[in-house]
Amino acid sequence: MSAIASSSQPVVGLSSSGALSHAYIKYPPLRYNIPGSRGLFYDDGNKIIVSPTNNQVFSWKISPFTPAIAPTSDSLSEGPILSIKFSLDSKLIAIQRSNHEIQFQHLETGETFTQKCKSESESLLGFFWTDCLLCDIVFVKTSGLDLFAYNSELNMLHLVETRKLNVNWYVYTHESRLVLLASGMQCKAFTGFQLSSVGIIQLPKFEMVMAKSEANSKPILASEDVYIITVYGRIYCLQVDRVAMLLHSYRFYCDAVVQQGSLPIYSSKIAVSVVDNVLLVHQVDAKVVILYDIFLDSQSPISAPLPLLLRGLPRSTSMGSRSNDKNGENSEVNYLSDLEAIIYGDDWNFLIPDLICDVSNKILWKLHLDLEAIAASSSDMASVLDFLQRRKLEAYQAKHLCLATARTIILERRPLSLVARVIDVLVSSYANSLKTGNYFKGSRSEKRAASTALHENIPAAGDMASASRATIIGKSFEYEGAGLEGEYFQASASSGSDLEENGTMGYLRTDTNIDTGKVPIGTETKIIEVHPPSVQADYDGLRNNLSGTSVSRMQERQLTSPVISPDEMYSFVFCPVEEEMAGEPSYLVSIMIELLRSANSEKIKVHPNIYVLTVQLLARNEQFVELGLLIINKVLEPSREVALQLLESGRQNRQIRKLGLDMLRQLNLHHDYIVSLVQEGYYLEALRYTRKHKVVTVQPSLFLEAALSSKDPQHLAAVLRFFSDFLPGFSHTSDHKAYYHLLTEMTLAPVS
Amino acid sequence: MGLSSVSSNTEDLQFCVFDLKRGQYEGQELDKILFFYPADLPFPSQLSVIGLSEGLITFTSIFSPEAPCEVIEAEMHSHVFYQAEPDIWMVMVVEKNTEVQAVWRIDALRNVLKEVHSLFMMFHGSIRLLLMKDPTGVIVRSHLYTFILDYLSAFRKWRTLDFCCCDFLVGKKLHLPSFRDSLKERGTVEMLTVGREAAIEVQSLVRVVESCGGNAQCYSLLLFQDLLVSTTLCPDDTINLFTYAVLRLTPHALSSRQSSWSYRGKGNSGSNIITKSSTEAAASFSEQHSPNSWSEDHRSIPRPLQHDKWSKGKDGFLVNDIWHGDSGNSTSPTPVVYLQQTEERMYLCAYQHCSLTLLFVVPVSSIINGEQGISAVKQLILDNASLKMSKVEEKLSKGWGGENAYHVSGYRYLLIDADRNISRASPPSKVATLAKDSLLFLTKLRKEVDIEKSRTRWDCPDHDRDLEICIRAKNNAWVIARATRGKELYMVLENANETVLYASDAVEKFSNRYCNGAFLD
Repeated sequence: MSAIASSSQPVVGLSSSGALSHAYIKYPPLRYNIPGSRGLFYDDGNKIIVSPTNNQVFSWKISPFTPAIAPTSDSLSEGPILSIKFSLDSKLIAIQRSNHEIQFQHLETGETFTQKCKSESESLLGFFWTDCLLCDIVFVKTSGLDLFAYNSELNMLHLVETRKLNVNWYVYTHESRLVLLASGMQCKAFTGFQLSSVGIIQLPKFEMVMAKSEANSKPILASEDVYIITVYGRIYCLQVDRVAMLLHSYRFYCDAVVQQGSLPIYSSKIAVSVVDNVLLVHQVDAKVVILYDIFLDSQSPISAPLPLLLRGLPRSTSMGSRSNDKNGENSEVNYLSDLEAIIYGDDWNFLIPDLICDVSNKILWKLHLDLEAIAASSSDMASVLDFLQRRKLEAYQAKHLCLATARTIILERRPLSLVARVIDVLVSSYANSLKTGNYFKGSRSEKRAASTALHENIPAAGDMASASRATIIGKSFEYEGAGLEGEYFQASASSGSDLEENGTMGYLRTDTNIDTGKVPIGTETKIIEVHPPSVQADYDGLRNNLSGTSVSRMQERQLTSPVISPDEMYSFVFCPVEEEMAGEPSYLVSIMIELLRSANSEKIKVHPNIYVLTVQLLARNEQFVELGLLIINKVLEPSREVALQLLESGRQNRQIRKLGLDMLRQLNLHHDYIVSLVQEGYYLEALRYTRKHKVVTVQPSLFLEAALSSKDPQHLAAVLRFFSDFLPGFSHTSDHKAYYHLLTEMTLAPVS
Repeated sequence: MGLSSVSSNTEDLQFCVFDLKRGQYEGQELDKILFFYPADLPFPSQLSVIGLSEGLITFTSIFSPEAPCEVIEAEMHSHVFYQAEPDIWMVMVVEKNTEVQAVWRIDALRNVLKEVHSLFMMFHGSIRLLLMKDPTGVIVRSHLYTFILDYLSAFRKWRTLDFCCCDFLVGKKLHLPSFRDSLKERGTVEMLTVGREAAIEVQSLVRVVESCGGNAQCYSLLLFQDLLVSTTLCPDDTINLFTYAVLRLTPHALSSRQSSWSYRGKGNSGSNIITKSSTEAAASFSEQHSPNSWSEDHRSIPRPLQHDKWSKGKDGFLVNDIWHGDSGNSTSPTPVVYLQQTEERMYLCAYQHCSLTLLFVVPVSSIINGEQGISAVKQLILDNASLKMSKVEEKLSKGWGGENAYHVSGYRYLLIDADRNISRASPPSKVATLAKDSLLFLTKLRKEVDIEKSRTRWDCPDHDRDLEICIRAKNNAWVIARATRGKELYMVLENANETVLYASDAVEKFSNRYCNGAFLD
């Protein structure tokens, strides 16, 4: 397939090596090298990275991920910094100065105030900002949680609620709004709170599983070994069991925590990332990454372990100058070769969900999936397409791959059952996206963004679906729920103000980076907020493969999801394939039938184009009996297009023409029906029909001409008489005169 | 329904097949005769029937070389002609029964001739081809004898009490299409009406099945009960295979062997009665009455129309003991049929799942190692399609309204789509409730329409005739015929004793409701 080959160009072309990988990081990275930097902090609530210096704080937006982005800076009062986080409305900055106090600074006014722990016995483990209705910031202390609300008038915090419990350490991700508090000797007893917009949900206490190496030893769980990840809008916790060499996963429901299973690990050092709802388990020592799609609760990896690659590394110095770095060329080259060496280096710090921070080089990488390589690694086409259909991040590429795969399997004449399964996958994915309403681009997504506030309770309610319900109803429920959850979750995952800012920023960036002038509207950008514009450039390359307006239409749509409508299936699969397979229409018709079957079972309307093409194929193959059956049984649904195609295809076959006529009549397309009837020579019948259905649009001359060509004066006379009787004023028209004259000639001729 | 009063005795029916090209010289006239029934008729009598026919054919072909002679209406008999193949004629002589004013509808009788010939062609190839292979005519004669007698046995109805006295010549009646069958059309298929969803499933199934034949062009026919669901064959081949399936393969046909006396469904009052008639009868009959053409080695002639030879195998495929393998296998090999459309020899496989019967034909040329190849294809079908098959069966069973599904209360009708060779009629049990007068009138009306149709056929072959006839019968029933662009509708309304307007209103209602308004002006 040429499409596949060329689509891989932008990705592989600049690759440092031809080696195979399913996940990669792409050059250039984001560099956050600031002189005098005192460390780097990841603020996942605002999706920024923060690097403070003595009197300043620099922050880089990482969503959308733009390597060339310039930091924004704010002034900062001096002092030790344990942790630093911007408030979600970006008005305040909170700096943890010690184990007992946090300093707050108003960004505009520069005013500061400090919040301290009440007693000396407790110490502060950390804090996070929240968009929970009750409070704005949560302090995690060894003695429990303190929930504070910020009072902007008094410029101070007041305590809203306290949750008392012993805490050894905690993990929190803003994405999940979930804080897990570890307690106990082994730190394996957990209490969880979800601070969602509807309130605080306390999860039941649970213990994590830990194998013992010896009878007496009691391993202690470290905070680095627990990850909270969000996949398809569901919240999981992954826990590394170093003794058993297993990665246990737990899924959170609002009233239960259910252990899901365990993934094997092959390295003492493990890191976890989530890219586009795919779980990446980095086996750091082995320098490989294993991909899991835990959508179907399957424990088996998507594909074999493969190394993580650095791609897009410029080989020549001229390419190197493409990077906005100001370094000299030589040092640049050295630097580049350094980069290659440091994959899975000791200084790599994995940030949930999909970032890697190289502390020593002061660069930030973003992880990407190579969908094409993943797709190529499996021979089970249906599951590959299923996987691709769930990809949101690189939706265009996923869609493109799906279309290419569909075309390929048809061109390769794979068995019908296989093609049928592939079509089922595509159609059900489309149906699902219709149900959840995320298929429609533009206006629809705008609406969704606007209505996020209304639905804000959905992520909590939906995601924390009751465990019992989920288990009873089973997978089908989960599937449907997941789409919803995922969508709304993402929408509400960023707070309102943040959302706006993202939107405008995304808008500006795409505007400057994409030369095509095809600017996604702001609200759409929100959806692809993690889309780096460099990827966008790849799309431009991809786009060259296809042509015309349909592509740009497709490009717009791709922004939301890779689903393929039956209409697109027609234009991008059947049409191109039909041209190439002109010789064997029968196989193609079988596939069309499978498409119809699939669409029908999902209650999806199919565009008449598909019916028309089916009619053409069958007629070309002279399978008139089958065509008749398909029409009679309405497998090919009646429409004007189909009827006209039947008339066209039936030029050599009267039965097929009749089917077309009947269809026109049944559709009450009086005008078309009458014109076609007359063309068939049934002008008298047509006249009866016009009278019965009071059709006035057909010109009398049409009937008169037909009657004249029959050379039967009786018929001509009958037609003339008909119009004289039923069409007022007809006897004064030129038609009447002309044909009356012809009639008299006709009747006289045999006599003379 | 008891015995029809219009059944002819054996002596009343004569049925012959002859070849005009043979026996041109004096003294060789017997050579012309390929088949004669009754076979015990003395040769001079046989020759006189054939001589008369031949004479008329020769004479009329002077005026109408394309279509010489169709029928002779004598005072006592009707001679029905059918040119099966060039110069090969089939003639049926039936006695006119003046007592009951019963009239034969000639087209109906000719359709019998046509059907037997089509079926013969399907299994044995054309008569001319057989004659070319064996100019002595021995093979053709033996084939025709067994085949036609097996076929006629389907028309033979036993007087129940006389069955034990195995005298077939006396106890046997041939039941030819009579006025009672005027709401029936031989040579058409009856279709099951299916919803869109089921139709898609059926199509999907058919496509999967046909893909099992590999690259070879395969065809299939799907029946539910005795109704056609889907076909990919051309109309002629569809009719032949459909007819054969209904006669011998569908669950009804198969079950007739178990319950010897209950002939179910359509066979009830129709001519197409399938009873446990002794097939041995035909054989012994032939043996007795035409010893010259029935010798021991002819027992190896496959007799596809023999009763009770098919049964359902363990794997769901139907098996038979009709065809005998060359190597003397115990299992009967897969039958081979000739398709008219492609003139190709095809293996015929039949699979049955509950009420669903699937006929599947694969080109002989595409199967390399005979039976082994066939069983591989069968296995492929089982693997790929059996699941779909049971799904389709379930869907169709759910949607099926039973034997009276197509009954429209108040109406007794026959609807024919001549373009697609499809017919639909009131169920036989409902037709049986009609008064004899109504049926007699309908037969007359149909005869008129037949004549009208054949005239149009010659006058302007591309143009279908529109006609509308309403007759008030003696018993005040309305007997109606409508024809519009290839579709025909015959109807008897016994309770519509009002005006002609009322009758035509009733037709329009029917047309709108059940024919998509096809019979609308």
